[in-house]
This record gives sequence, C-alpha cells and structure tokens, in this order.
Amino acid sequence: MTKIWRETGFVDNDPWVIETDEVKASGEQKPLLGLDELIAKADESNDVGLGVLIKPADDVRRLEPYLSRLDIVAVAFPAFNDGRAFSHASLLRQRLGYTNELRAVGDVLIDQVPLMQRVGIDSFAVSNATALKRLSENRLPAIPHHYQPAVRDAEAGKGYSWRRQAKPAA
Amino acid sequence: MYRYDEFDHAFVSERVEQFRDQVQRRLAGELAEDAFKPLRLMNGVYLQLHAYMLRIAIPYGTLSARQMRMLAHIARTYDRGYGHFTTRQNLQFNWPKLSEIPDALADLASVEMHALQTSGNCIRNVTADHFAGAAADEIADPRPYAEILRQWSSVHPEFSFLPRKFKIAVTGAERDRAAIQVHDIGLHLKKNDKGEIGFAVYVGGGQGRTPMIAKLIRDFLPEEDLLSYTTAIVRVYNLHGRRDNKYKARIKILVHETGAEELTRQVEAEFASLRDSELKLPEQDVEAIAAYFALPDLPQRAEGWENLARWKKADPAFARWVQQNVQPHKNPDYGMVTISLKPIGGIPGDATDAQMDAIADLAEEYAFDEIRVSHEQNLILPHVALADLEAVYRGLVAIDLAEANAGLITDIIACPGLDYCALANARSIPLAQEISRRFGSAERQAEIGELKIKISGCINACGHHHVGHIGLLGVEKKGAELYQITLGGSGDEHTSIGEIIGRGFEPDRVTDAIETIVDTYLGLRLDPSEIFLAAYRRVGPQPFKAALYGSAAEAA
Repeated sequence: MTKIWRETGFVDNDPWVIETDEVKASGEQKPLLGLDELIAKADESNDVGLGVLIKPADDVRRLEPYLSRLDIVAVAFPAFNDGRAFSHASLLRQRLGYTNELRAVGDVLIDQVPLMQRVGIDSFAVSNATALKRLSENRLPAIPHHYQPAVRDAEAGKGYSWRRQAKPAA
Repeated sequence: MYRYDEFDHAFVSERVEQFRDQVQRRLAGELAEDAFKPLRLMNGVYLQLHAYMLRIAIPYGTLSARQMRMLAHIARTYDRGYGHFTTRQNLQFNWPKLSEIPDALADLASVEMHALQTSGNCIRNVTADHFAGAAADEIADPRPYAEILRQWSSVHPEFSFLPRKFKIAVTGAERDRAAIQVHDIGLHLKKNDKGEIGFAVYVGGGQGRTPMIAKLIRDFLPEEDLLSYTTAIVRVYNLHGRRDNKYKARIKILVHETGAEELTRQVEAEFASLRDSELKLPEQDVEAIAAYFALPDLPQRAEGWENLARWKKADPAFARWVQQNVQPHKNPDYGMVTISLKPIGGIPGDATDAQMDAIADLAEEYAFDEIRVSHEQNLILPHVALADLEAVYRGLVAIDLAEANAGLITDIIACPGLDYCALANARSIPLAQEISRRFGSAERQAEIGELKIKISGCINACGHHHVGHIGLLGVEKKGAELYQITLGGSGDEHTSIGEIIGRGFEPDRVTDAIETIVDTYLGLRLDPSEIFLAAYRRVGPQPFKAALYGSAAEAA
C-alpha cells in the first residue's frame, strides 16, 4: 500500500499515477508521463498542470523549457542504492529553478527521507512498512547539523561558511 | 591539530544516536540486512568472514595521544586487545559485537573521532601525506584542505549513494607520499607565479582489478574553488558512473570510457554553474582551519646534533634506526620518526593496546602530542627533537617497535587477506611474515636498500600490490592459493603500475622467488645508489624473467 507523505502529513486523494500496462489513470487521476512522452505532449499542446517521471538515466535538463507547465516532477529511486535522483533533484531545484512539487518514488526508506528533503524533495510515495509507521509518528532520523549547503533552506551554522543548521520545526 | 567546535561535537553525537537507532531496528528485525547494509557501512561496520569489523576513520592520518589511548581502550574493551592500521590511514577492529558498536562509537566521539564513511559507496576518509606540516620539501600543508573536504563530504545529501566508493587524497610536497595518482580524486597543492595556493587536480586513478593512473584534468585550481570543483566532479560521476556492473562502477572506468577530454568538459560545465555558489571558500575560513594545523612552537635544541653523534657512535643499532627511520624535518634541530609496525616476522600494521598506550605516552612527552598513520601501515611522530631521539628509541625498543626498516624490504604492506577478509582468495599475512623473516638481517636489508613489497590477498588490491616495486597478488586456481608477481610498480609522483612477470608461484615457493629477484637486482645494479625500482626501469623485466623461469620461452 503506497501512501503519499508531505511534511504536513499524509495526503489523501493524490491524483498522480505511474501508468503501466495494467494501471491507467482514470476519472480524477492524472498520469506521470515519461520524459519523452511529456516533451511530445507539451510540444503538441498548450496543456498545463502536467506531471513527469524522471528515471535515473534521464537527462533532467531537458525539462527546462517546460517547467512552468509542470505541477509535479517525480524522481525515481528504483533501489535504495541508486542515488542518481539525489542529483536530479539538486539540478532541478538549484540549476533549473523548479519550484513546484518534487516527489520521490520507488524504494523510499525512512533513513533516506531526511537526505531527500535536503536535496529539495518535498513529497514522498512510501510503501515500506517501517517508513510508513515512523512517518505517521513524525519520527524522522534526521541530524540537524549539516556540513554543506544544500537545496533546502537552512540557517548558517556556527563557524564556517559551508555549515548549515536545520531550522527548528515550525 | 583540528579541534572540534560545538558544531562538530553535536554532529558526531547526533550521528552516533542515529546509528544506535538503526542498530536497534536491525536487532529488532525491523530493518532487513540488505537495507541495513549501506547504513552500517557508512558508519564503518563491515560484516567479515568471522565477525563484524569496525573501521575507524583517522582523517588525513592525524591523531593525538588522547585519541590513540582511546583506540587502545576500544581494543581492550570491545575487541581482542589489538587493532590493525590500514593503507587508508584507518584503524580496523576485527571482533566487535554489533550490539556494542554504538557504545564504541560514543566512546570515539568523546575524543573527537568517528567511523563515518570509512566504507560504503560514499566519499571515504580523506587521506594525506603522513609527513604533512613537518616535511622539509613541503609547499603547503595538505591537512587543512583534507579537513575542509572531510567536513563537506560528511553525510552529504547528494553523494551518499554513489555508484561505488570514492576516495580523495591530498599532498602538499614535491614528493607524493599520498599516492594521489591512484585515487578517484588526487589533489596536489602548488603555488602559482603570484604565490597563490591552488591544486593540480587528478581524476580517475585506482587499483583493484583494473588499475589505472589518474588523469590530470586541471593544472591549477584556485583554493576558493575546492568544494565547487569537487562537487562538480562527484556530480558528473553520480549521474554518469556505471551502475550495471560493480566492477566497472568506479570513476576510473567513466574517465576511461568517456575519455579524459570529454569528462573534463562535463566537469568544467558543471563547475561553471557552481563556482559562484555558496560552496565558494572564503579566505578567512580557510585561514581559520589552517590555523589549527600550525607547526607547534619548536624550541631550539641545538645540543641534539652533538648528542646524536655520540649516541650513534656508542650504539650501532640506534645508529641504524636513525639512519633508516628518521627523516629530515623543516626545523634542523628536529626529525620525523617512523615507528615501524613491521617487526621482523610480525603482522604488518598490527598494534596491541599496550603498544598504542605506550606510543601515546611517547607522543605526549617527546612529540608535541602528534601521531600520524601512514598509508604504508606505519606510525609517525612528525616532530621529535634530535636531542630526544635516544629516549624515543628506548621507548620503542621496550614495546618491540624499534625495527630499523622503514622503506626497506621487510617494511611490507599487506592486506588482512584470507585470515580475516570475506573477499580474499589467498592469505597475505603468513607470506609477509615469511618474507620478513627471510630478509630479516639488518646487514642484508641495508645491502638491498630501498625496496617496497606490497601484498594483496585478492584482486581488489587493498595491499596496493600494483604500485609495489615488487607486488604479490594472491589468486585462487583450482582450489589452491597461487601468487602472481608484478615488478616495477610505484605510488609516488612517478606512479607506475607493476607488470606481471610470468606464471604464479605456490605459497611455499614465493619467498624463494623474491630472493631470486633480489639477487638478480643485486647482480645487475650499477652501484648501491641505484635502487631496485630504478634498476628495473633501466633494464626491464627480461633479466628477472630469465632468472625466475629459465629460458624466455617458458615465461608466460
């Protein structure tokens, strides 16, 4: 059972669907298109409110001309040890200036959620039982002291220019 | 030495508690082994042949006496009374219990140490010249830059799940004692015409099954760009490094397949958009970190020269030790002392808790509280007054660590091999011990001169055999151990990968083969100042092949 989690809590009625041969978006649902598909659709229409799924080998910079028409970018973590999406997220937020929803999909584990947040991911498709339990209890295994600037806004840490401190939870 | 501030202290204790929570979930069965594995590896916890192994980071190889005593305490409390210093300037304990490791990490944190990123597919412990800050030939101290890189890479959110491990080494002298050209990133400090500090940047070196020498991709990178340029390299690697085959996943393969020119272009493009970001290093921050590494205030001890001459005359064994294990310091009244962890017949790199305590005492009393770990598995006291050398020597004799063999044939690097390691195909330790015994006489070693033997128990090359003047690689053939010999490797500023000399040798014939190689060298060198490596580079492999295998036709 996959649930969508954001910092404000679990989200009901999320419309985004990763389509497969068996699963298609229906009714209120909307598909997360592959990168080529998204580009084709955007080029031949004036549609806005689109969603795209970036796979690890995709070049995320190809999204640049279409960013204003996207409601969501999902980045894929096909396995916990494939960390390419961390760089995709960094590029989207820092280089391309993307500001809408950025979602982690795939193997989203509790111990990686804090790192994902720091590279600018703000929405998580979670199915791991431990991750669901800990998120429902709001128990993130995060360290509030960071030795490097990252996408997520943080206060300057004491001492050196590269240090950051997580802002206390609101 | 770098001293933690509040921020560092908070960070390491938070990290220990984070790992304690992960261990508890693992022990409770909430966390499966495959998901736990990358988490434990990033905290230095391996699962080896017989037990868990804890690998403790010694950033750029620098330790204080207090830290060394804590390592002794951990050896006594959580292990079997000894530890193993490695070629990565780390210390490994072979027998800790998983449930006790968080406590060991908390003990480490109390003396500003950790086991962060000593393993796993992340940026590993940054290594540096073990004579940093003391060497007479130094352009600038590499440790401040290594410390900045240590901080920047710790729990990096973008780079904690790379295609493979990633190793950075920094050197600041003419002579490269950090083997930077066999690292993923090698940084060589230099000064430009205006006297500004910068780095020559090497990328894509490494050993293992596909040994490669790194490519120079930047001749002079300004100091302020250190973190943005490194970020650019690691980002290109994270996005484009191969993940289909773990044996082709290191950045050296990416450099090889993409081509150094194209890879440089990609790195420079990435760097162009990062160079004016928050990663730019302000001069005052670099200066503040560098201030921690200032040379200690060394009092004049001119009496040492006369004393030393007298002591050497009175005790030939002491004279030999000074000759071999003491190197010139920036300050002429001082020397840099190598404590050989290679006693004749011993296990390279091993030290007992009592030895660690005793070395801590010596460092405190005679060496301004500084100890280094070298990538050659020895310890260094970087600042010892010549006037105190005799006392230091006596202290080392008392703990059986006064072997006068630094750089000689018995100063062997060896990985733990099949005795400990889950990856190994062959034993390394007994082989090192046998070679050490065979060549143990001081006269014989002196006659042979500088000769570096390096032994790996498998193709992963933890024993750095590719860059040994004589390299030994243990392989398994039809269920039996066999050792391949390579000649002519070197890990200094003229890095070369050794060549395989011919078919391998059974364990009981290896030492004889080494002796044949050594005798061949002694017979063909121009004079005693031509060391083995120089002679090999002059004559090539042929005379050695002929001596080992008879006619050239037999040589594989």
